[in-house]
Amino acid sequence: MTTATAAAGAHEAHEHTHYTTTGLDNRKIAIWAFIGSECMLFGSLISTYLVYKGRSVVGPFPHEAWTSPTGQVFKPILDIPVTSASTFVLLMSSLFMVLALAAVENKGKPGYEGTLGSSKLWLLATALAGAVFLGFQAYEFTSFVHEGLTIKTNLFGSSFFTLTGFHGTHVAVGVLWLMTLLFIDMKRGLGPKDTILVDICALYWHFVDVVWIVIFTLVYLIQ
Amino acid sequence: MPKLHLRRFAPAAALAVALLVLAACGGEYPNSTFSKNTELNEGAVFLWDRMMLLGTIVFVVVEVLLVYTIFKFRRREGGPAPRQIHGNAALEIAWTAIPALILVFLAVPTVRIIFENQRKAPAEALQVEVIGHQWWWEFRYPQYGITTANELYLPIGKTVNFSLRTRDVLHSFWVPQLGGKRDLISNRVNHIWFTPKATMEPTALNGACVEYCGSSHANMRFRTFTVSPADFEKWVAHQKTVALGSTAAAAADSLAKTAVKPTPIRTASVLPAPSLAPQPDSSASAGVWAFPADKIAAYAWPQTPLPAIAFDETRLAAGDPRAGRALLTNPANLGKAPCLTCHVIKGETNYVNDDQAKGPNLTHFGSRHTFGAGLYRNDAKSLALWIKNAPAMKPGVSMPTFGAGEYNALIKQIVPASAGLDDRQIADIVAYLLSLK
Amino acid sequence: MASSAATPTHAGAASHSSEQSGLWSWLTTVDHKKIGILYLYTALFYLLVGGLEAVLIRTQLAKPNLSLVSADFYNQLFTMHGTTMVFLVVMPLSAAFFNYLIPLQIGARDVAFPRLNAFSYWVYALGGLFITLPIFWGLAPDGGWFAYAPLSGPTYGGGYNMDFWVIGLQVLGISSLAAAFNFITTIINMRAPGMTLMRMPMFTWMSFVVQFLVILAFPVITAALFFLQFDRFFGTQFYEVAAGGDPLLWQHLFWVFGHPEVYILILPAFGLVSEVLPTHSRKPLFGYNAMAYSGIMIGFLGFGVWAHHMFAVGMGPVADSIFAVATMLIGLPTGVKIFNWIATMYGGSLRFPVAMKFAIGLIAMFTIGGISGVMHSSPPSDLQQTDTYFIVAHFHYVLYGGAMMGIFAGIYHYFPKMTGRFMSESLGNWQFWLNFIGLNLTFFPMHFSGMLGMPRRIYTYDAGQGWDLFNMMSTVGTYMLLVAGLLFAYNFFRSKKHGAPAGSDPWGAPTLEWSIPSPPPDYNFAQIPEVTSRYPMWDLKAPDRTAGIEHSHPDAAVIAEAHAVPMHEETERRTAKELGIPMPFNTIKPFLVALGIIILFSGLIVLHIGNFPLAMATMLGGGAFMVGSLYAWLTSPLE
Repeated sequence: MTTATAAAGAHEAHEHTHYTTTGLDNRKIAIWAFIGSECMLFGSLISTYLVYKGRSVVGPFPHEAWTSPTGQVFKPILDIPVTSASTFVLLMSSLFMVLALAAVENKGKPGYEGTLGSSKLWLLATALAGAVFLGFQAYEFTSFVHEGLTIKTNLFGSSFFTLTGFHGTHVAVGVLWLMTLLFIDMKRGLGPKDTILVDICALYWHFVDVVWIVIFTLVYLIQ
Repeated sequence: MPKLHLRRFAPAAALAVALLVLAACGGEYPNSTFSKNTELNEGAVFLWDRMMLLGTIVFVVVEVLLVYTIFKFRRREGGPAPRQIHGNAALEIAWTAIPALILVFLAVPTVRIIFENQRKAPAEALQVEVIGHQWWWEFRYPQYGITTANELYLPIGKTVNFSLRTRDVLHSFWVPQLGGKRDLISNRVNHIWFTPKATMEPTALNGACVEYCGSSHANMRFRTFTVSPADFEKWVAHQKTVALGSTAAAAADSLAKTAVKPTPIRTASVLPAPSLAPQPDSSASAGVWAFPADKIAAYAWPQTPLPAIAFDETRLAAGDPRAGRALLTNPANLGKAPCLTCHVIKGETNYVNDDQAKGPNLTHFGSRHTFGAGLYRNDAKSLALWIKNAPAMKPGVSMPTFGAGEYNALIKQIVPASAGLDDRQIADIVAYLLSLK
Repeated sequence: MASSAATPTHAGAASHSSEQSGLWSWLTTVDHKKIGILYLYTALFYLLVGGLEAVLIRTQLAKPNLSLVSADFYNQLFTMHGTTMVFLVVMPLSAAFFNYLIPLQIGARDVAFPRLNAFSYWVYALGGLFITLPIFWGLAPDGGWFAYAPLSGPTYGGGYNMDFWVIGLQVLGISSLAAAFNFITTIINMRAPGMTLMRMPMFTWMSFVVQFLVILAFPVITAALFFLQFDRFFGTQFYEVAAGGDPLLWQHLFWVFGHPEVYILILPAFGLVSEVLPTHSRKPLFGYNAMAYSGIMIGFLGFGVWAHHMFAVGMGPVADSIFAVATMLIGLPTGVKIFNWIATMYGGSLRFPVAMKFAIGLIAMFTIGGISGVMHSSPPSDLQQTDTYFIVAHFHYVLYGGAMMGIFAGIYHYFPKMTGRFMSESLGNWQFWLNFIGLNLTFFPMHFSGMLGMPRRIYTYDAGQGWDLFNMMSTVGTYMLLVAGLLFAYNFFRSKKHGAPAGSDPWGAPTLEWSIPSPPPDYNFAQIPEVTSRYPMWDLKAPDRTAGIEHSHPDAAVIAEAHAVPMHEETERRTAKELGIPMPFNTIKPFLVALGIIILFSGLIVLHIGNFPLAMATMLGGGAFMVGSLYAWLTSPLE
């Protein structure tokens, strides 16, 4: 929800180049403030996950197998190889995002004539990588549910799905944002004067990426 | 409207504050937090005194400066333009450093007393388990196997180590005269300990729940009786037994006692030899010891007004404890009087144990001075009304309405005559409960 | 945009938007001043609501064992009194001043994101109704404004009451966050040429600190509220006792938010008082730098003391000690403020209009709240104070004696700017003294009842406990405060129509907002001024007062670029069209997005009722409505 409102603020289009105190666009300042705020949101979500680690009364658990009182055996839930793959895809998307921003910023400049200058390609690549990451997450969630872990099962389930679900929602908003930029690019073409539009999206996207690195490390890798 | 001036109000305000302070010093304050009855509260009072002193100095300095400035620098016609000072580093450092110094005088003893208070309790301390329920207190003495409710007995001069937990939501345990409070937290066991000083008089003290816990948070009170070690021994010895009323009745009924029972839980598997039934109100009789009613000060007697519940009071005198006991204990009456599905009476056939009971343990109910978590005096009339319609006497209470024809606020229905108790039956139950000395 | 050579491409449209009036213009306005006034009116309405709740509370407690209201209704009353006063009164009153004053004080024509600003207001207004209206059906939140789990969870608080609280607060959080992003950007990026950070008026400084507190504190309660919502509506286990949930998780998250929230409430009032005192003392603020830095220090320390609300939970001696000492430290920057205010007046030429009286009232009363605050910082002693009326006394001295006094000072001070008229001084004097006496009569005795053992949040108490006199005094005082409040309302509305006319600078104040007509034109500044000091208006009108302050020369290039003109007083009133200043279009879209959010969240209540298809329809419908309106908003031009 806060994402949507911040995006609204960030998108507030000033058609004139107004005087600003810092010389930066208002939207750039706002997105940094927004990212600061998001750090506290994810900080709270991640802390909650960590506080509740190992405190679930019943399984299944993230890293250990669990035998229920009725004798049913549950595997450890987290699948690190699969998530490593999706993490890699998301990391690559950040690279694509950098290329997309560079393409818009330098449109028409020497060295940016070919593939490197194709902002459409890189925007599409970023959005696609984000979508692939979401696909992985959808697969992951479904298989966890099949293995007996839902958001209602235990503290682990509640805090895990909430944390990764919030992150996934952020990725989804980012993908929509990228698609919108792509749409504008196809309709009228994005050029150096539109740098700010891509810049704020890129900042958001990199932030979402960094958050995932933290989540992947703290939730998946550290046992 | 007339113009108002600060000068006219200042003396009046000063007078009001002085009167308030006088009032506070003069009256009877049974729940004062300034007592030095325990070492725990001595620390608190020591810090309070120091803070009052330092705080008063700061207050006087600030307010005097302020008032002086207001009067001294009032604008006067033709007066000089103000001298422009925009800051003064030395001054500003001073009024940062001096308060900092003041805080050192507060921080050092604070940390010292924090660590003193939170040492491990002495091993020989009396252990008391405090269990919070919406909205009453369960007290257990695990060293003696005693479970009681809403009335806490503490021996003077002996350290008490409380372990606090809750059966439902958060509560907080507080006897203002004995020291600070401690929360009861779900999924945790909390601790606090203190020693009622050997110099303390035997007294009845009020206690309360101080963490908001729902509808009847205000009605979750309890009494603490600090008693001499010898009296405490007597009280413990008595509490360990089954109650007179129940054994007396049991003795009389022992021949017929082989009736089939629906999988009851026995809390006392072996009954001691029943003594002959004395009159129920003879609290002085051998073995029974409770804090003497005439020593309880007025403030510790509940004054909650009784609601307008119709009850034929002439029935009370004729109440038959045996009939009451039969109503409670005969499985055939469970539909009408399911008392023992929520309460435990040691010596009777119980359907729940203490860990399952939703209501207070009633074993020595007749020797308690209050009921309903300190809300009502434990007399026949209050108790009769309570059994007839408890939800009308304590908001949100989980004890249902038992009186026939009464409106049950919990389920928003009138109890039909076929399912409820009539006044005669209630009087019998009251007689039985009060006989549980 | 300040350039006289700017091509007035949108001038026609701009005049179109400013000519509208009536209800529609209020629904669609994006003018920060009109939005500020909307905040002011709405918050004053909720002040009446919260005040009446307090009157009922105090009437019930006038004597022992009264039964004017039921236990359950009383619990709703005190929950809503706290929630209302914090989220619907003091924060929005501060927001009213943020909106109205910040752009004027920094020399801007509007906030950075005018439509987002309208959105913040509408989310607040609608969210406020959402959380307030249920009391008429006896369904108001009843778990306390702190909503401790597990009482606020589905197992022990399964009714609809707390649904309204978790949803309402979440919605209000959106409003606060959106506003904070907006004001941070505004203050960083919209300052007039030469308006360096250390030349900003102190109110803008304090507001700046507050916005950072909001963006860092509110996400924490947002997370905590999501957990509680998920527990209540989707069956998660965060605070469920049976699943091993920890009630202390809620408490920590709540107070990590809740303590900075205290400073969110008080710092704007500190800022207002820092404007009022120098003006009426004819002396610049004493120790400007120290005032700014102490505000920042309070903000920083405010994040490190939350657990002093939790000394009774038994955190262990080490944590108790750390939080105790950190809490004591926060007294230092606060003390600096008090002393600097007094030093500001010291040696001045003091005049005592009602605004000044309230400002001095804040110093006097906040000192009491501050001292009792230091008393709670010592855990062994706090364990006797926490959850008693002593705490109630403490935070009412801080919030009524502090925040509300400061806000009243601000209203009396800025009313002439907002309306072009003065409020009545004689009515104001009556209100001040009734307030001053009433608040001391109400809250001072609570120190006594608390230390004499009276717990908080109880709907009744027994006779003979030694509390009767103090409670009766508190109740009488509350009625005085009610009379004072009604007097204020009368004065406010009467003065709006019949008050004595005030010029652009009726008090002889030092800052930019007094250089333009009252009420200011919709574009604020016909020409963006070049700022060369902290007290530009005194530079013009009373240069002796600012002679001793360093006047550094701003970067000439910056000023040239912005076409700013030297500091001056604007007396002419022309339309934006005549001046060629492009103004933002009025738009209904922010209102519609806010409405969509409320509908979306209301679906959760329907879910609780158990009608799954209707719930889905409400949420999807509300969501689609929100997204559609948002899309329309984002694709339409601002100006």
